[in-house]
Amino acid sequence: MELTVNSVARTVQSPPLSSLLTVLREELDITSPKAGCESGGCGACTVLVDGQPRRSCLTAVCAVDGAEVTTVEGLGTPEDLSRVQQAFIHHYAAQCGFCTDGLIVAATAYVGGGGSADTGDIGEALAGHYCRCTGYVKILEAVAAVARGDTFDTASTASSANNTYVTIAGAES
Amino acid sequence: MKVVGARLPRYDGVGHVTGRTTYVDDVRVPGMLHAAALRSVHHNARITRLDTGAAAAMAGVHAVVTHADVPLLVYGHLSGAGIPGDEPLLAKDHVRYRGQPIALVAADTVDIARAACAAIEVDYEELPALFDVRLGFDGDAPVINDTFGNWYDQYEGNLDVRQIRKGDIDAAMDAADLIVSGVYRTQSVEQVPLETQVCVAIPEPDGRLTIHTCTQAMYFSLGVVCSHLQLPMSQVKMVGGTVGGGFGGKVDTASDTLTALAAQKSGQPVKWRWTREEEMLASGNRGPWHMEIIDAVTSDGWILGRKMLTIHDAGAYGRFSVYGLTKHSFHHTGAYSIPNLHFDGYVVFTNKIPTTAMRGYGVTGLSTAIEVHAERVAKELGMDPYEFRLKNANRVNDTSPNRIAYEDPSTVEVLQSLAAATGVELGDGLRAMTREQRSGDMLPDHLVAQIGSGGGH
Amino acid sequence: MAVHRGKGLATVEYPTGMNQNGDPSQAWIKVKPDGRVDVFSGTADIGNGSKTVQSQIVAETIGVPYDWVTYDNSNTDSSPMCTGTFASRATFVAGNAVLKAARQVRERILAVASRELEIDPADLEVADGSVSVKGTPAKSMGVDEVAGAATFVHGELLTGDGAHLNPGAAIIDPTTGEVDKPPHAAISYAACTAEVEVDDETGDVRVLSLTQAYDIGRAMNPTLVEGQIDGGAVMGLGFGLLEDCYPYYPTAEHRGDGMNTYHVPTMAELPEIKNVLMENPSSGGPYGAKGIGEMSNNAQPAAIANAIHDAVGVWVTEFPITPERVLAALDAKSEGRSEPRREGRVVAFDEELSINSFTSAKTWGA
Repeated sequence: MELTVNSVARTVQSPPLSSLLTVLREELDITSPKAGCESGGCGACTVLVDGQPRRSCLTAVCAVDGAEVTTVEGLGTPEDLSRVQQAFIHHYAAQCGFCTDGLIVAATAYVGGGGSADTGDIGEALAGHYCRCTGYVKILEAVAAVARGDTFDTASTASSANNTYVTIAGAES
Repeated sequence: MKVVGARLPRYDGVGHVTGRTTYVDDVRVPGMLHAAALRSVHHNARITRLDTGAAAAMAGVHAVVTHADVPLLVYGHLSGAGIPGDEPLLAKDHVRYRGQPIALVAADTVDIARAACAAIEVDYEELPALFDVRLGFDGDAPVINDTFGNWYDQYEGNLDVRQIRKGDIDAAMDAADLIVSGVYRTQSVEQVPLETQVCVAIPEPDGRLTIHTCTQAMYFSLGVVCSHLQLPMSQVKMVGGTVGGGFGGKVDTASDTLTALAAQKSGQPVKWRWTREEEMLASGNRGPWHMEIIDAVTSDGWILGRKMLTIHDAGAYGRFSVYGLTKHSFHHTGAYSIPNLHFDGYVVFTNKIPTTAMRGYGVTGLSTAIEVHAERVAKELGMDPYEFRLKNANRVNDTSPNRIAYEDPSTVEVLQSLAAATGVELGDGLRAMTREQRSGDMLPDHLVAQIGSGGGH
Repeated sequence: MAVHRGKGLATVEYPTGMNQNGDPSQAWIKVKPDGRVDVFSGTADIGNGSKTVQSQIVAETIGVPYDWVTYDNSNTDSSPMCTGTFASRATFVAGNAVLKAARQVRERILAVASRELEIDPADLEVADGSVSVKGTPAKSMGVDEVAGAATFVHGELLTGDGAHLNPGAAIIDPTTGEVDKPPHAAISYAACTAEVEVDDETGDVRVLSLTQAYDIGRAMNPTLVEGQIDGGAVMGLGFGLLEDCYPYYPTAEHRGDGMNTYHVPTMAELPEIKNVLMENPSSGGPYGAKGIGEMSNNAQPAAIANAIHDAVGVWVTEFPITPERVLAALDAKSEGRSEPRREGRVVAFDEELSINSFTSAKTWGA
């Protein structure tokens, strides 16, 4: 079987019913898709297949023979981050990082498909992605900011609008 | 200050967003075997026969690890704190919860390892199981834990109960205008890190072991591994520090020791990654708490005293439960100053997964109980919930259940701030209140004796 | 049949550091010949941000830019002992260890710079990667030059080590629980208001908003604090309404075995979250830090339960508050079974749940 993975043509030797996740991770050594549950429940293994987000753990590799597969490695590099990647840094949308790659892939498809900056719309598109760290607040902000067309300073992070700061009286020292 | 307090990005942020952060499952080692575990299918049973011969003889199987391979089978997570160990690394002749590991197989592939697990022959003699902590004290209850019985019995002074006694609870009950009791039961919760338990153990040519670990506590895990394997700490190198979520569930060294044993026995690198199903059904989780609170209160809203019974469902083995209960007991007045206390707490064993740490360990369920109870008491008194809480809120030099003076309590300030943020109008007296040491109307007779003299936190 | 709204309040406190303490962290730091700083610490980063926060503390304390700091927590050969990332101890305890190590490095930098500049170290300060004479900023040399001089002129290695151990508190009287010293490093406080909608036909509870006020000590990095508090709020929502390893507790049957059968909160359950972060520096934490990672999921379950009572007048005290439990409580209310027993001064709720209803082996009461 043939796949184009992150713009590189690859020949796949794994058995045809192997999951795309296993092929990517174990045969091709592309480790950004994560085996969070291997049953389609968490979203951590999401990759783009011909531009559409797919759960690679539920996708038999033979079903995508000839397809173009994009993982987060193919979206941007440390020297040349995509806007979604920049937004995830600037808005602190990644904590432990394990769900992040799948979310960035799915958010890239959402924004690329003309998705709005409305958090309800974003939530509907990405609700199948579990994140146990962030409470989703800053993930939604990151995706909304990309959809709005913001530019991002990756040397600093943004405060969410939902936070205010005060100092307790007598504790100014 | 410039750097501290600055909104700098995550140190590891670029790695996280480009797929280049290396988690344990991403570690690649030539010649790596894969492991799978045989786990108990019963809640409580004797193992009458364990035969690994057929499994070990299968093509592609390189090691089958059982209890006989563990140099020190029982090591207590809190043995450093004087709490005896009770849990074998692998079950020997008795399984006490469904999912308890009995053997670990290392093979060329995960599929072979799983097939070999299925080929291990185990005969069980099933025994009655106990699940309800409220029944653990009964004389005819099945005995769950060989070391401690049905509840932990080795607190300081050989007590079988974690006690707090402060002031005079009987006098408080006598003086109360109202005595309000309630029962609160919080559940078991799985930490659900997106990264399941995972380990890669590598035997090095110099005889050392390199262990790629997902632990939240590398040195703690180093100690646990070296104790079970009876090795000096110089013989094991833990590699980790980058964890795909923990929330407390990756403190108790679930996979490192067994993977290390499989690597030792096979002489090859071994990876053991738990399936999501194993993570959900066999990993240590937040334990359930059964809490009964009886508050003695006055009609003008002072809490004079609290009696509390807590029963912590530890599951089959102790792990950190005694620690969790002790912490629970130290905080059982919540954010309030209650001068007369009578607390009894028990760690009770059941045939469930041994429970472990999770965010807020020992206190999350407690805070839940205390705050629903506070709301009930306020309603019974016909009192505003803010006024009731602010009046009883702990203040500078009020003392905790274990007699430590509060140094910088901010219960008053967080409540005032929350009221402002939610548009709740507090009366003048409540708005003017501060955390400063009690005086005047805020220092009724019953709170005088409990005032401490500083030096706490 | 209708949807009812309600609001509920809860207040919590939580310790920083292990109860009874006695949980050490250690760190060491070396400076490369170009002044760049390598920190070795054994603290795992579980997403909480230990790598970031400890690097910030080191950069601040030595007086070099953040991007001069390399942080290595990768293994137990090169990093010294750290008990671990739990008990809300990483920022406070391990942060103090790197702080102390960084202070030593700063002293060593000043000592070498003093010889190079021929000025008393007490008259020197370090900031932004530069050592300068107090009051005469023009007279200065870079930390990179100092490190180079240390290496190639003086034959010295600029290092520092630090360890932090909160003294272990002992229970001196097990019958009363009295301890000999504080069993925690600091205490944080918080309050939360939940606003909910309860559907009295389905029993469904939807959390509309969580408004929270937190005593955070001092924010080492405000964005990271916000991330902890948001994440904790949603975990608290899961605890309050959704998650249960044993849905038929106390029996152990019908357990959720995956992400599709155990309900972790998703974006679909996300309420509006508003936070007030209150600085109240601790006396012993690095730069006044407290640990708030864990406590951030403690206030929401009770606030939600109290809001449900406000909405529909029932107390649910077994968690999580599932639709089944809400409907059972509403049924009990409509059938007149929900009132507590009131006798004289006694108001007794939930007697059917009490251990007294299950066994005579342990009796309990006022």
